[in-house]
Amino acid sequence: MIASASAKAPNEEARLPIAYTPTTLPVVVDEAKCIADKGCTVCVDVCPLDVLRISDLTGKAYMKYDECWYCMPCETDCPTGAVTVNIPYLLR
Amino acid sequence: MDDITDGLTEVSCDILVIGGGTAGPMAAYKAKRRNPQARVVLLEKANVKRSGAIAMGMDGLNNAVVPGYATPEQYTKEITIANDGICDQAPVFKYASRCFDIIQELDSFGIRFQKTENGDYDVKKVHHLGTYVLPMPNGDTVKRALYRQLRREQILISNRYMATRLLTGRDGEIAGAIAVNTRTAEFLVLRAKAVILCAGAAGRLGLPQSGYLWGTYENATNSGDGYAMAYHAGAGLANLECYQINPLIKDYNGPACAYVAGPFGAYTTNSEGRRFIECDYWSGQMMQEFYSELQSGKGPVFLKLNHLHSDTIGKIEAILHTVERPSRGRFHENRGTDYRERMVEMHISEIGFCSGHSASGVFVDEFARTTVTGLYAAGDMASVPHNYMLGAFTNGAVAGEHAAEFAAGRDLPDYDPSDVEQERARVLAPTRRDDGIPPNQIEYKARRMVNDYLQPPKVTAKMKLGQERLAEVREDLEGAMVARDAHELLRSLEVASILDCADMAAAASLFRTESRWGLYHYRVDHPEKNDADWFCHSILRKQDGRMMLEKRPVAPYIVPIEDEERSAYDRQRIRESA
Amino acid sequence: MSEPFEAFGDVEDLAADLASPDATVRRLAVMALAETSDWQAVPHLVAAIADAAPEVREQAARALGEFDGRAVGEALARAVTDSVAAVAAAAAESLAELRDADAGGALLALVAHPSPFVRTAILRGLKALQIEASLQPAITALSDVEPAVRVQAVGVIGYLKRQETLPALIGAARDGSAEVRLAAVKALSFADQSAEAAAAVSAALKDAAWEVRAAAAETLGRLGVSSASPALVAALADELWQVRQKALQNLGRLRAREALPAIIALLGDDNPSLRKDAAAALGEIADPASREALATRAQDADPDVRKTVAWALGRL
Ligand SMILES: Cc1cc2nc3c(=O)[nH]c(=O)nc-3n(C[C@H](O)[C@H](O)[C@H](O)COP(=O)(O)OP(=O)(O)OC[C@H]3O[C@@H](n4cnc5c(N)ncnc54)[C@H](O)[C@@H]3O)c2cc1C
Ligand code: SF4
Ligand code: SF4
Repeated sequence: MIASASAKAPNEEARLPIAYTPTTLPVVVDEAKCIADKGCTVCVDVCPLDVLRISDLTGKAYMKYDECWYCMPCETDCPTGAVTVNIPYLLR
Repeated sequence: MDDITDGLTEVSCDILVIGGGTAGPMAAYKAKRRNPQARVVLLEKANVKRSGAIAMGMDGLNNAVVPGYATPEQYTKEITIANDGICDQAPVFKYASRCFDIIQELDSFGIRFQKTENGDYDVKKVHHLGTYVLPMPNGDTVKRALYRQLRREQILISNRYMATRLLTGRDGEIAGAIAVNTRTAEFLVLRAKAVILCAGAAGRLGLPQSGYLWGTYENATNSGDGYAMAYHAGAGLANLECYQINPLIKDYNGPACAYVAGPFGAYTTNSEGRRFIECDYWSGQMMQEFYSELQSGKGPVFLKLNHLHSDTIGKIEAILHTVERPSRGRFHENRGTDYRERMVEMHISEIGFCSGHSASGVFVDEFARTTVTGLYAAGDMASVPHNYMLGAFTNGAVAGEHAAEFAAGRDLPDYDPSDVEQERARVLAPTRRDDGIPPNQIEYKARRMVNDYLQPPKVTAKMKLGQERLAEVREDLEGAMVARDAHELLRSLEVASILDCADMAAAASLFRTESRWGLYHYRVDHPEKNDADWFCHSILRKQDGRMMLEKRPVAPYIVPIEDEERSAYDRQRIRESA
Repeated sequence: MSEPFEAFGDVEDLAADLASPDATVRRLAVMALAETSDWQAVPHLVAAIADAAPEVREQAARALGEFDGRAVGEALARAVTDSVAAVAAAAAESLAELRDADAGGALLALVAHPSPFVRTAILRGLKALQIEASLQPAITALSDVEPAVRVQAVGVIGYLKRQETLPALIGAARDGSAEVRLAAVKALSFADQSAEAAAAVSAALKDAAWEVRAAAAETLGRLGVSSASPALVAALADELWQVRQKALQNLGRLRAREALPAIIALLGDDNPSLRKDAAAALGEIADPASREALATRAQDADPDVRKTVAWALGRL
């Protein structure tokens, strides 16, 4: 998925180039507890907004997109208690 | 994952259900039970396991008509009055007559409702009018229980496919739908004899005050796709000017929730700690009062619990912090708000379309049929007013059963392949650009315009300006939006629905030149209710490629409303505006 | 093209992973088996209840909550006695989900288990099954040393709604533990028109615990025994407004005319919730004698009071 982000990098003649604006992510995964490397994908499966992914690099779950309804299935359904949902900063 | 992949698959089924939140699973289940030979597909943008408004369950049924506590006649009457009389009663009465069976069926699925120490349903009285609240303190397992039933009935479940357009046959009858995989961008063409739309509310229409696109009242996956699809297929949509606006915990933007805390003795107050709501019904009128208080010197508005016993508050917390919107507890903790000490600041939500709490939606009759042959709708997006969760389940069941019978006597209609080609071109356009405007910015702008120009109080000149602004956003969407992976493509498709809904909201609001439903349709330049000209539904539809509106008479009442009952309600309004 | 429909895998294939040396893999296999919702998965899940790793047993105990029947009941009965608390807790939750009366036998065998945790969980499971056979054991359990067990025993009895259990429930309404008294007072609600029940519940209006007093007022309203009204009138002077409120509501329900003066006095209370319920009670009783008193509150500062007064006046 890292590759896909750069597959369509803005080209040089771009009239409407795109910025990478930073944002703080509400959902945090404790990598020591996450068992995605053994095949778990529960949080990625259940998230209604589809914003979690398993990292190719670490083999652990992480939040890829800051588009969270702070609804908590990811945290509730994680078998190992690895996920913490924080309230997104803008409405905290 | 997320790479854009070229691909198209075609599958056929008898009944296609779009949206696996609340109404959808029930529709699919009932269709299959009615005709076990039928091939039933349940298509869901997210994952049926945890999708929809009820992803984490609900803390109670708001509108349970349980024998011994309320009657279908009484319920129908109250809903009619709460909607200022603009109500086709047949579907409401049907819901009220069937919903107790559905409660028992849900119970048999393992969905737990609050019981008394004698094992009976513990229905709570909220006010003297009717008793309709049935708590479900362990409601967080609702989806798991539904999912289990779907698996056992061998419903074909397609997760992570977003339906984008309906397919119609030669005579305009339904022929299926087109969907896009949200992680690969591959296309799925689903041919079907009947389609049931259960895609939920249009929850990403207005922008929450926090400015966070996803901080909506509704489950943020519900971007109004169902309304847009129905519109483009030619179905009529009713009373879209009757917005949904809800009282919510400020900033958190979730319910507090009066239905949970109310029976325990909590209530809404102004900053002086006094009650101010005159209206007896959960309605636009109530929201008008809420809004006026917020705007007055007596705001802000609060939910008052601090007069309750600490033990009672402990019980309320145990519910509010585990089901429905469980992160409420975390929000309060961050701010150091303890229900025991401080009142909870409330605010009103952004606007949306949702019959769960108001009266708008794809027009349906008492069999959940839309105006397009073979197309059904149920839940928050269908026009049966004040549905809530049990309405979604019950009307989903009605739709599923009727659709199963309809499909049984039919051949699979043909669709026009050029429709699929056209849709592919529309969907993929943002992926063909190397640069442009990302969907999140288009969405932010469209929704900010909705707030600035379409939100009540509605002003004619402002709404017309809003239409111009929205048209400019549409040009950007069609000519410059860019999606760099399948996930962004999903978002870009959602923005298109949002913009369609915004256009519909503006057109419908301008059409009805009166005020009705309290705050939901308060038009500053037509401040009075005008029964002589507007005691009717407004129906919006696409005709010859254009949006048009017409009046439709309210069906004759089957449960008569005495003039006195209606005027008692009107008197309340007069006192309010005085 | 990825397959458009969810595939859940073959039960036997998934079960093969239960033999993995890696406990995490076994745990994931249990999760996948549960996901199939396929009854064929049950024997494998039952076997996993005996896994060496507690996290696998816990997962299996949770997974069995998705199924029902005798074999499931037996496996959960075993798991609820597990020495690892998390396993036992998961099993207890799943036990409460059982609905098939066939599961009852396995539960009944454990009603006298030495661990109070197990006894509580078992009775909680039996409550929902609503089987006759659990009546006697539940009555016996009313003298359990552990209050949590006695609470569940009251529940089992209350759910069965048998006239002959009244003495047992009345006894429980005088239990040493407030939780048990609370459950018993509520459970007595089914005894429509029973004077003995009403007498016991009236006594509970003077309970030391406010929630018991409030529940007693509620039960008296449900029982519909009019001789209980004087006790409810006395409760209008309770030190907690929550209890006074319940008393008001249930005097209305009983249409207790003799309570009129006491209710009218509360129309002037400082607490708007009490004023409102006083007006509502007067509306229920619908005695024209309260017209004048109600009329004095027609312009109350609280809108709920005003509305209720208007409604009540309309009923006189
Ligand atoms: C926060 C909150 C609290 C509430 N509290 C209560 C309560 O306490 N009691 C009560 O009775 N009611 C309550 N309601 C209302 C009730 O939950 C809803 O009315 C009901 O659940 C709506 O059901 P639905 O099936 O119409 O929509 P949903 O359950 O939202 O389902 C819609 C589904 O469609 C899917 N979808 C959307 N677009 C597409 C597409 N293009 N393709 C495929 N799938 C799509 C979505 O992912 C979603 O799963 C509450 C609602 C909310 C939001
Ligand atoms: S659910 Fe938990 S264990 Fe599984 S992938 Fe997500 S974080 Fe990791
Ligand atoms: S809180 Fe909800 S939206 Fe946010 S990551 Fe978790 S499941 Fe997804």
